[in-house]
Amino acid sequence: MRLSILSVLLVLALFAGITAPGQSNGTGAASAPEIRLIDLDGLKKLLQRDPKDARPLLVNFWASWCDGCREEFPDLVKIDDDYRTKGLNFLSVTVDEVEDKAVAAKFLVEMKASMPVVLLNVPDKEPAIHAVDVNWDGALPATFLFDAQGNVIYRHFGKIKPEELRAIIEKQVMSAK
Amino acid sequence: MKKHYPLFVLLASLLVIALAAVAGSGRGDNDLPAPPAIGTVIDDFKLPDADGKEHSLKSLAGSKGVVVIFIATKCPVSNAYNERMEQLAKDYQAKGINVVGINSNVTEPAAEVKSHATEKGLTFAILKDEGNKIADRLGATRTPEAYVLDTSMKLLYHGRIDNSQNPANITASDLRGALDEMLAGKAVSKTGGAAFGCSIKRVS
Repeated sequence: MRLSILSVLLVLALFAGITAPGQSNGTGAASAPEIRLIDLDGLKKLLQRDPKDARPLLVNFWASWCDGCREEFPDLVKIDDDYRTKGLNFLSVTVDEVEDKAVAAKFLVEMKASMPVVLLNVPDKEPAIHAVDVNWDGALPATFLFDAQGNVIYRHFGKIKPEELRAIIEKQVMSAK
Repeated sequence: MKKHYPLFVLLASLLVIALAAVAGSGRGDNDLPAPPAIGTVIDDFKLPDADGKEHSLKSLAGSKGVVVIFIATKCPVSNAYNERMEQLAKDYQAKGINVVGINSNVTEPAAEVKSHATEKGLTFAILKDEGNKIADRLGATRTPEAYVLDTSMKLLYHGRIDNSQNPANITASDLRGALDEMLAGKAVSKTGGAAFGCSIKRVS
């Protein structure tokens, strides 16, 4: 009898674990971030800095089909967790096609990501790529750090080097205070 | 030592300036080399195909020019262009322009490049760029990424193939446009184009 109760509890515990994939760190935050669709003007608006907001802005471009993007994402989630309360503004931009929005959302749940995420929905990507940085040709993943004036103070194409990025964020966050 | 001090300071200053210039010539903080400017004559190079046989780029070029495309076996974007690249190669070979693929990904060995080409029906020459030396020389960062060279190996176009991974949504065939203008003896009106693609996996 005792074995049966234990078995039931075990099954219930397993079930709870399976049905709550977004439960990440005991904070209760859980579900996938909402993925908002933006066009070129929307992207430009997001990159425009509010003069009253001195926080450095970290922008990461990714796609669910991009291996490097998937591989670096856990490090970006940790950076978001560590620096959001210290004054980092983090924006995640997926360039997945609109029809793959659910795939992107599923990935974000797996990553336990909770930063703001937008999906770049533009017919031609080139103007959007150039609006971000004229030095960028579209290679993914791509990560940019903008200062309060909107200047690109860090850019990295390919997988980030977490320690290098953290050092630059740390410096920017401190100087923004 | 004292009398050589000004010279030492001058040389040290020049070194600092030179290092700063080199650092600033990259496209980012990855220290990736900048691509050659449009109009630059590209030095010939040799690379092996997937069977290990070496070819010079000039030996593979057509009578009217050559298109070099950095490609990948695993990148979904590059793979989305397989049929288009093969069709491009067929269409322009007849006009004197050959397509040459280059795989620079450290994660994709020559045997995989060969089996991928067979599986996907890619019949144009594909070279293996071990150590991504040619990707570095041409400043290639992603797949697919195309370079058009004329008969004198002058770079006329560098960038995307077209503006959509989905063939149904193409509204700008930039690469074909550049080739047609080159064949017509006109200046290439759009010399490049950005598009999302997979980063080339370089040796660390």
